[in-house]
Amino acid sequence: MNALTQTANRQTILIVDDSEMNRAILADMLGNEFDILEAENGLEGVAMLQKHGPEISLVLLDIVMPEMDGFGVLNMMNKYHWIEDIPVIMISAERGSSHIERAFELGITDFIWRPFDALIVRHRVVNTILLYAKQKKLTAMVAEQIFEKEHRSSLMIDILSHIVEFRNGESGMHVQHVHTLTETLLKVVIQKTDKYHLSQTDITVISTASALHDVGKIAIPEEVLNKPGRLTDEEFAIMKTHSLVGANMLEALPSYQDEPLVRFAYQICRWHHERWDGRGYPDGLKGDEIPISAQIVALADVYDALTSQRVYKPAFSHEKAVSMILNGECGTFNPLLMDCLRDCADDIPRALDGDSFEERSRRELQNVARELHKHEELTASERTLELLEHERMKYSFFASLTQEIQFEYTVTPSSLILSTWGAERLGLPEVLMDPYQSMEANAIINAADRDSLADTLHSTTPGNPVVTYDCKLHLGGEDRWHRIIARASWSSEEPPRYTGCIGKALDTHSSRLQMEHLEQEASHDALTGLINRAYARKRIAERLADRPTGRYALAILDLDYFKSANDTYGHMFGDQVLKFLAERMRRSIRGGDIAARVGGDEFLIFLEYKDDLESTIEGIYNRVSGGVYEDFKISVSMGVASTEIVDGDYETLFRCADEALYVVKNSGKGHYSYYQKEHAPVGADISAVSPIDSEETKHDSEEAPK
Amino acid sequence: MTLQECYAAMGGNYDEVIGRLRSEKLVQKFVLKFLNDGSYQLLLDSLAAGDREEAFRAAHTIKGVCANLGFDVLLASSEALTEALRDGRPPQPGEADLIARVEADYARTRQAIQAYQEGAGG
Repeated sequence: MNALTQTANRQTILIVDDSEMNRAILADMLGNEFDILEAENGLEGVAMLQKHGPEISLVLLDIVMPEMDGFGVLNMMNKYHWIEDIPVIMISAERGSSHIERAFELGITDFIWRPFDALIVRHRVVNTILLYAKQKKLTAMVAEQIFEKEHRSSLMIDILSHIVEFRNGESGMHVQHVHTLTETLLKVVIQKTDKYHLSQTDITVISTASALHDVGKIAIPEEVLNKPGRLTDEEFAIMKTHSLVGANMLEALPSYQDEPLVRFAYQICRWHHERWDGRGYPDGLKGDEIPISAQIVALADVYDALTSQRVYKPAFSHEKAVSMILNGECGTFNPLLMDCLRDCADDIPRALDGDSFEERSRRELQNVARELHKHEELTASERTLELLEHERMKYSFFASLTQEIQFEYTVTPSSLILSTWGAERLGLPEVLMDPYQSMEANAIINAADRDSLADTLHSTTPGNPVVTYDCKLHLGGEDRWHRIIARASWSSEEPPRYTGCIGKALDTHSSRLQMEHLEQEASHDALTGLINRAYARKRIAERLADRPTGRYALAILDLDYFKSANDTYGHMFGDQVLKFLAERMRRSIRGGDIAARVGGDEFLIFLEYKDDLESTIEGIYNRVSGGVYEDFKISVSMGVASTEIVDGDYETLFRCADEALYVVKNSGKGHYSYYQKEHAPVGADISAVSPIDSEETKHDSEEAPK
Repeated sequence: MTLQECYAAMGGNYDEVIGRLRSEKLVQKFVLKFLNDGSYQLLLDSLAAGDREEAFRAAHTIKGVCANLGFDVLLASSEALTEALRDGRPPQPGEADLIARVEADYARTRQAIQAYQEGAGG
């Protein structure tokens, strides 16, 4: 019955009820028309909502449930605004009116009482889904209509203004020029003053409305409008009516009076022939009695008239037009606008030049973008959900393609969502509520790793939320190394709150083993299998730093007469002897001790001791030295330095042990001795260690330096 | 034994449930399913463990299922017990009687269904 995918016409209903019987009865009642999702408590219900989002058309919600009750679910749905798009019908045997009231306050659409009546349940479910679908459709329709209207009005402006121009016999550019000049001047105005309270939107709307400034000329008789030569006074009086006629036309659009576009267009039509000194028409307004929109369009209109050729005059140059306006030859304008004109005079030719078709389209595109933006606000929730749904779809598609363990952890409610492949690999369900309490989950990652990972994620910041963590996961009966890459999610509130994380776990087991193998190769001596000098130095330094108060001893061992073994029996034999000695050393030391090959026939032992160093060293020496390997007599010289005598680091210990060895070598070999302070000053230029990999040494044994 | 006789034996309201669920097949399916519902066992277990909150939920679920299936006798006794357990109320005198009644009514309901199941041949 659980259908995870929603086919085109089928609606998905989520039933949240702790009784399996009740869920089954409801599912049966709803029959085959719907896809049913089931959750057996509130937490699971919330996880389902989180996972399936707007796929879910309706929630049937019980009140009394373990983990999280129905009110808890409603609270979460409110918190995440799901309730705005997903209707909820509450189902309960609870008859108390306080319950019902609270449920309705939390946004449920309907209430159904037990015992269910099959017919009622069915009808209410269908009605609720239809109602919500209708609402969504209505919202979309309203948005569409607003867009249509704006679109039509801008089309209407275009058509009207062009009709005027055609009748006017003008170039067709006049309207565009006025538009551009208006916009250019307005931008300067708002930089200079805010006394007109103009917003960026006002600039756009006024510029658009400017196209209608001469719309009243439609009513002017053809012979007056296009009369070659100067108009008579009578004709001019007729001509002057166009401003009022245009305003009246706009006023006759009763249903659009609240539109800013219509409001500005009215001002522009009526008053774009008024002048600052009150000598304009039709109303003889003065100064700022004239709306700023009309003042600016008037200026733009005059400029374009001056620079255009008319039947009664040639086209003036830009410079000439500007100076004529500034000199007051075309009537008096607002001094502030004169300043603005001066400021932008140089920009005007370029702006008008750019007033090409492309420029216009670009501007229109911007307008459309602005309109779309407005609509987005209108249907934000639905659009956002659609986008989210798209993202979710993309995510699950890609997740299904990769063989990776991908996860998403949410703190409240505590839940872990796994990719399908990941869930299969881990042997966990795709949605796991309360993973901290899950035995299955805890069997996969050990608690220390889990908590340490959580701590690391908690200590990230919203600016730097990504964490890499290596640990072993127990999968398919074995521990395998994984690299967990996770991104913490932080809420946008102040201070930000940790809300969970997303991430993936990559199986790095084989590459890690390979690394370990390489590390082993790099740190070990190939012949004897003991660690090499560099690695020994590192580990000893670590031990010393780890517990500086401990008592430690370092011994350097040298195989006596080794050169003659090589010379007599060959290098193969020599290697066998070294391996033999290494094996003896391995057997003579305790678990925590360190044995290393320093180089050539020299070895090193590092150990920690409590009280009796003497007997420990004696024991080691006796196990290592003496006896024969085939015919070769095994004799070892050994120098020992302890932290009781030598106060210092690895280098110092090594040098002192080396010095003690030097003394042994010079006094007959085949025994060992301790470094004593009186021997020589530390760091004296004597050493028994061959220079094979020791730069600090000077060799003085019977073998020639190699 | 018919389903109607089964309802009579347990003290249920057959006509009412058929009126609501509108299909004898559906009713039959869920009546038989009632035998496997774990809520009753959960009620006993949580009462024994002293978990009154869980016991409330279990009693509440039984009540809801009985209401849906028209098991009127068990509905009445489970409803009384649900109210006694509501909001973590401490045990009142007479609660043992309420529990005993639920046990008796549950046994009666169960017997009736089992008899019907055998009679219905499976």
